[in-house]
Amino acid sequence: MRVLLTEDDRMIGHAVQTALRQDGCVVDWVRDAESADAALLAGSFDLLLLDLGLPGRDGISLLRELRARRDATPVLVITARDAVEDRIAGLDAGADDYLVKPFDLDELAARMRALLRRSAGHGSAFLEHRGVRLEPGTREVTRNGQPVSLSPREYAVLEALLLRPGVVLSRAQLEDRLYGWSESVESNAVEVYIHGLRRKLGHDMIQNVRGVGYFVPREAAAPDEA
Amino acid sequence: MPGISIRGRLLMSLLPLFIAAEIATGVVSYRYVLRESHQLFDYHLQQMALSLRDQGAVMTPPVPNEEREQFDFVVQIWNADGSKVYLSQTRSRARLPDRATLGFADVVTDGERWRVFSTLARGRVIQVGQPYQVRERIAAAAAMRSLTPLLVLAPLVAIAIWWLVGRSLAPVDRVASDLRRRDERRLDPVSDERLPSEIEPMVRSLNGLLERLQHAFAAQRAFVADAAHELRTPITALKLQAGLLGRARDDAQRADALAQLHAGIDRSAHLVDQLLTLARNEPQAQTAQAAHGSPSAQVDLAQLVREAAAELHPIAEARGTTITVDGPQTLVLRGDASALLSLVRNLLDNAIRHGAGGRRIAVSVGFADAGAVARLLVDDDGPGISPEERERVFDRFYGRATGDDAGSGLGLAIVRAVAERHGGKVMLGESPLGGLRATVELPALSQS
Repeated sequence: MRVLLTEDDRMIGHAVQTALRQDGCVVDWVRDAESADAALLAGSFDLLLLDLGLPGRDGISLLRELRARRDATPVLVITARDAVEDRIAGLDAGADDYLVKPFDLDELAARMRALLRRSAGHGSAFLEHRGVRLEPGTREVTRNGQPVSLSPREYAVLEALLLRPGVVLSRAQLEDRLYGWSESVESNAVEVYIHGLRRKLGHDMIQNVRGVGYFVPREAAAPDEA
Repeated sequence: MPGISIRGRLLMSLLPLFIAAEIATGVVSYRYVLRESHQLFDYHLQQMALSLRDQGAVMTPPVPNEEREQFDFVVQIWNADGSKVYLSQTRSRARLPDRATLGFADVVTDGERWRVFSTLARGRVIQVGQPYQVRERIAAAAAMRSLTPLLVLAPLVAIAIWWLVGRSLAPVDRVASDLRRRDERRLDPVSDERLPSEIEPMVRSLNGLLERLQHAFAAQRAFVADAAHELRTPITALKLQAGLLGRARDDAQRADALAQLHAGIDRSAHLVDQLLTLARNEPQAQTAQAAHGSPSAQVDLAQLVREAAAELHPIAEARGTTITVDGPQTLVLRGDASALLSLVRNLLDNAIRHGAGGRRIAVSVGFADAGAVARLLVDDDGPGISPEERERVFDRFYGRATGDDAGSGLGLAIVRAVAERHGGKVMLGESPLGGLRATVELPALSQS
C-alpha cells in the first residue's frame, strides 16, 4: 500500500513513517500542503494521511482542492483540533475518516485498512480469492487454510491485485506500491515478486497481459475448491 | 465598616441647619416686633396721657367697662398735693408707684416691669402705664406666627430629602446589581445611562477595570488554549514513539525507538520549561510573583552571556557553528538573573537553529546611550527574517506554525516578555553578517 503522509512535525512524521514501513506500507512523507499537492498530482497513492494543522496553507484547503478535481484518493485526516465543528469541517471538506491527536499506531493502522477496504468496495475485513485469504489486520495469508509465508513486498503486490480483482495493474503501478521516492527500483523486481507469489499460491492465481500488466482473474460463480 | 448613608448625612446636616435657621428667624422677628411695639405703645401711652390732660378732670373711665378686663393700661392721676384723683381699674390690679418722673420711665412694681408716661396738667400729674410683659407677649406671638410656616415645612423638607436622595441614587442600586452579576465569564461594561454626574466617573472607572480584566482573562485563556494545543503535538509524538518501542521486533528497532522516545521526552520537557518561563514573565504574572521574582537584584549581563554561550557551545559545534562573545568583563544591571539567562539562551538557541547553514554567531554586550542602556546584540549569518515577519515571530507558537518544529515556538515570545519586564525592548533587523540581528536594550544601572 502506498501512503502519502502529510505531517509537519518531525517526530510524529518520523514515527508514523517508521511504523507504517514496518507494516509493509510504502510511505512518502511531506511536511506541507504544497508538497502534498505536488506529490498527489505526480503519483498515485492508495491513501492520504493528512494533518490539518499544517504550516502555511492548511490541510482543509488541500482537501477541498483534491476533491474539487475529483481525486478520490481515500483521505484519513489527523487533527489536533478535537472540537466537533473541526471534525465536521474535515469530513465535509472530503475526508473519509479522522483521527484526533494523540492517537495510537494500531488504531491508525486499523483505520487505514478499513478505509482501503471501503475504497475498494469491500465490506469484509479480509480479502479472499480462490481459497487464498489475506488478513490485512494481521498480514496473515492462508491458502486453503494453510498459512503461507510471504515477504512484505510479495504481500504488498498480492494485496494491490486482490483489492480490485480483474483490474490490470501495470508494472509501474505495482512498483508504486513497492517503493517510495527515496528508494531505487530494482529492475525486474515486480517480475520476481510475481514469480514468488505464483510459486507459493498456484500458477493461475495471477495472470499476465503481455505488455500491459498483471491481474487476478475475477472469481467464477463458485470458489475453486481444488 | 459601612459608611454613613448619603441620606442620613443630608438629614443629619440639613435638619440642624434648618432648626438653627428657625431659631434665628424667631429671635430676629421677636426682637423686631418688640422694638416696633415699643415705639408704637410708647406713642400710644403718650397720646393717651396727653388726651387725658386736654380733657381736664377725668371722672369717667376712658374705656368701656366690659373691655376693662382686657385693658392693659393703667391710668393714675394725682393732685398737686399728692392725693390720688383717679386710678383706672385693671386686670392686673397693679399700682403704679407714688412717685413720678415726667416723660417716659421704666418702673418696677410688685416684681413687674412697667413702662410709664407722666405729664403735668394744671397742677395734676397724669400717669399712663403699661406692663412690659404685654409687649413681650405680643412680640413672642408675632415671632411664633413667623415660625409656623417653617415648622410645617421642616418635616416636608425631611421627606423631600429622603425621597430625592433615594431617587437620585436609584441608578447606583442598578449599577450595584449589574456588578453583582459580573464574574470571570461575564465582564461586559455596566450601563452608565442616566447616572448622576457625580457617580458617572466611578462607574466609568469600573467599566475600565472590567475591560482590562476582560483582556487579561482573554489573554490567559488564549495562553492556556495555545499551551494545551501545543502540548498535544509532543504528546502525540511520545505516544507514537512509545508505540514504536512496543512493536519493535529486534534490538536495532528497539534501540532506534528508544532513542526517538528520549528525544520526544526531551522536547516535551523543553516545551514545558519554556511555557513556565514565559508564564513567569508575562505581564499579568508579574504582580503575583512580585514578591519573589522581582527584577531588582544586581545581575552581571556579560557573565550571563558567557554562561549561555558556554552552555550552548556543544550544540552549536555539532552544527558547525562558532559562537564569539565580545564585550566588557562585567556589565551590571538590575534584573532577574534566571529570566535574563533564559533571554540570552533563547536568542542564542534561535541563532543556532535558524542560522541554518550559518557558520558564525557573534554576540556582543556593551553600554549604549552614554551608559543609560545595556545593549545585547546577537548576529547570525543565516537566512534572516523578512521585515514583514519580524513582528509576528514574537507571537507565541508562531515558529511552530511555520513548520519549525525544532523549537518550542516560544523563544522570541520569552525574549520579549523578559525584556519588557525589565523595562527594555527587543528589535530584529539585518545583521552585518548577512543574517538576523537581534538587539535587546535594557536599562543599565547608572554608572555613578
